[in-house]
Amino acid sequence: MLAYFVEAFRVLLANRTRSILTVIGLVVGVATIVSVQVAAQGMAGAVSGIFKGTNANTFFIFPKSTQGNSVRAALKLSDLALVQQSVPGVASVIPFTPRQSIVDAGHQRVRLRFGGESDKRFSTAPLAAGRTLDSEDVARAAPVCVISDNALTRLFPNAASPDSVIGTSIYVGSRRYVIVGVLGKTKIDTAALGLDISNDVAIPWTTFYNNYQRGSSFFGISVLADQGADLKTMENRTQALLTQTHGAQYQYFDFGFFAQTINGFFAIVGLIVGAVGAISLVVAGIGIMNIMLVSVTERTREIGIRKAIGARRSQVLLQFFIESLLLSAFGCITGMLLGVGLGAIVDRGFIARISGVTGSIPWLEAIVIAVGFATIVTLVFGTYPAYRAARLDPIEALRYE
Amino acid sequence: MNDRPNVVIDVAGLTKTYASGELQVQALRGLTFSIDRGEYVAIMGPSGSGKSTLMNVLGCLDRATTGTYKLDGIDVSQLDDNQLAEIRLKKLGFVFQGFNLLARTDALRNVTLPLFYAGMPAKERERRALERLTEVGIGERARHKPTELSGGEQQRVAIARALVNDPAVLLADEPTGNLDSKTSSEILALFDRLSAGGRTIIVVTHDEGVAKRSRRILRMLDGVIMSDAPAGAPV
Ligand SMILES: Nc1ncnc2c1ncn2[C@@H]1O[C@H](COP(=O)(O)OP(=O)(O)OP(=O)(O)O)[C@@H](O)[C@H]1O
Ligand SMILES: [Mg+2]
Repeated sequence: MLAYFVEAFRVLLANRTRSILTVIGLVVGVATIVSVQVAAQGMAGAVSGIFKGTNANTFFIFPKSTQGNSVRAALKLSDLALVQQSVPGVASVIPFTPRQSIVDAGHQRVRLRFGGESDKRFSTAPLAAGRTLDSEDVARAAPVCVISDNALTRLFPNAASPDSVIGTSIYVGSRRYVIVGVLGKTKIDTAALGLDISNDVAIPWTTFYNNYQRGSSFFGISVLADQGADLKTMENRTQALLTQTHGAQYQYFDFGFFAQTINGFFAIVGLIVGAVGAISLVVAGIGIMNIMLVSVTERTREIGIRKAIGARRSQVLLQFFIESLLLSAFGCITGMLLGVGLGAIVDRGFIARISGVTGSIPWLEAIVIAVGFATIVTLVFGTYPAYRAARLDPIEALRYE
Repeated sequence: MNDRPNVVIDVAGLTKTYASGELQVQALRGLTFSIDRGEYVAIMGPSGSGKSTLMNVLGCLDRATTGTYKLDGIDVSQLDDNQLAEIRLKKLGFVFQGFNLLARTDALRNVTLPLFYAGMPAKERERRALERLTEVGIGERARHKPTELSGGEQQRVAIARALVNDPAVLLADEPTGNLDSKTSSEILALFDRLSAGGRTIIVVTHDEGVAKRSRRILRMLDGVIMSDAPAGAPV
C-alpha cells in the first residue's frame, strides 16, 4: 500500500505544474473556510471579553417609544424609590441619562459624555487616583466628579499624572465640579467599538438631578443588581411594576442581550463567508476531477502499458485514487495552514487590538475541516476518473496516440 | 496433456472476428498449433494477415472469438479480466514494436513495474530489475529515462521488463521494426542468447533475416497458417 503512495507521489512530482494548478482552487477554498473559522473564534472571544469589562449586572428600562400617552409613561423620581423597594436584588437605582456636554478645564473645551452615577460603580474601570463617588456625595448632592481616562487625556493633555488633577475644578456650563477621582483604562477599549456608554465625567446622580433634571422626566432608569441576582427575573418584575403603576408600556435592555445580538451578527457573517468557501470548494473539486480526467486521457498509453504488463483493474483504480487523494490532501493541508495564518493575522492584528483578548487558534476545527474536505473531494471527484482509467481496454489504450 | 508435458502453448480452432459497425473482419480463421517449451518461433506474413491479432490473443491482451487456448496447462479462454491480468503478470513477457516504456520513468523503474504489481518489496524489485538490465547489456544506464536512451537501448529495457517476472513465454511483435539494421542485429543476437539459455520465444517479423535465426517459422495469410516448418526449409 505504501508503495502506491510512493508511486503516486512520483507521478505527481513528475507533473509538478499540472499538480499545482489542480490544487490551487482547493487551497483557496479551504483557506477561506478555515480563516473565517479562526477569525470567528477570535470574534466570539472578543465579544465576551468586551462585556467582561462592563458591569454585566446592569439593566436599563425606559418607556416604549411606540405608545400614545408619553406623559403617563414618563418616569419620575418616585419610580426610583418604588423599584428600589419593590424589586428584590436591587443594589442601586438611578436615572439613566445618556447625554453629552461641553466641559471646560482651564483652556481646554471638550465635548464629553456627562451623567449622574451613584455610590455603586456602574462600570468596572479601575481607579487610577483619588476615590470613587460615595454614598455621602449622593446624599449631599455634592459638586464633585470622577473623570474617565479619556476625559483626563482630553481635558488635561499636559497632566503629569492622574494624581495631579485631583482637587482641580472643571466647569459644565457655569457649574463647577471638583475632581475627586480619576479612573484608569478598562482592559477593553469599548470606545473603539462604539459600545461605551459609561460616563466620561460622572457626578453624583442627585447632583445631576438637582442641576439638570428637576421637574422634568427621565429618559429611563438604570438598575444595578446585587451580585448573583437573576437579571431576567428582575427585568420582568421591574417591567411589570412600572406597567402597573403607570398603565404604560416599558422596555428593557442589558449587555447580555447586546452580546447575543452581536454574536448572532458574526454567526451570520461566518455562515455567508462559509457558504462562499463551500461553493469554491465544489468548484475546486470539479477542477480536480477535470484534471484527473484529462490526466486519464493524456495517460491512456501509460495505463495501457501498465495493464499490458499485468496490472489488475483494482490496482489501476487504486493508483489513480491515491493520486487524487494526495492532490486533495496537499491542497487541504496547505489551505488549512494558509487559513490559520490568515485568520490569526485578522484576529491578532484587528480583533485583539480592540478587545484586548487574543483568541486561541482552533487547530482542531481547522484540522477537522481540512481532513473532511480532503476526504469528500477525493471520494466525490477522484473516484470517477480512477474508474474510467481502470476500465480502459489494454489494446485500445496502447494504440491510443 | 500428460502425454505432451513439454507443450507450453496449445491452440485449437482459434478464430477472431472484429465487428466494426456493419462490417465484420475475420482476422483469425481457425488456427491450430502448439509450441514446446524452449522453442524459438517466428511468425511471418504480409500486412493484415493477422499476426498482431494472434500475438494479442497469445499475450492474453485480447480474447479469441472461438477456440481454445491453453497456456502452460491453463485454459486461458475461460478466464475473466483479473485472471488474465494475473496471467500476463506471471506467465508472459511482451515486447512491442514501439517499446512502450513509461516516458517520465527511468529504466530501472520501468523494469521494476511488473514486480511492483506482483507485490514484491522495493529492495528486491530493484535488485532483480538491475540484474535483468545487466543481462540485456545496459546495467550502467539503469538511471536514464527513455528519452535519454537510443531506440536499441529502449528496446533492451523493454526486453528486460518482459523478462523480469521470469515468464513462461516471451512474445515480441516486430521488436526490430523501429530499429536500424545494426541495432536490429544486436537485439536479435540478444534473442539468440536468450533462446540458447532455454527461453521460449515467439517473434513476429517481416524480415526473412530475422526469421532465419529462429528454429521454426509459422507463415500466415488472411488469418490462417499457410505453413509451419523449421527455419531454413524452402518457402
Ligand atoms: N481493432 C480492430 N478492429 C477491426 N479490425 C481490426 C482490428 N485490429 C485489426 N483489425 C483487422 O484485422 C486484420 C488483421 O490485423 P493485424 O493487425 O493482426 O495484422 P498484422 O498481420 O499484424 O499486420 P501488420 O503486419 O501490418 O502489423 C486486418 O485486416 C485489420 O484491419
Ligand atoms: Mg501487426
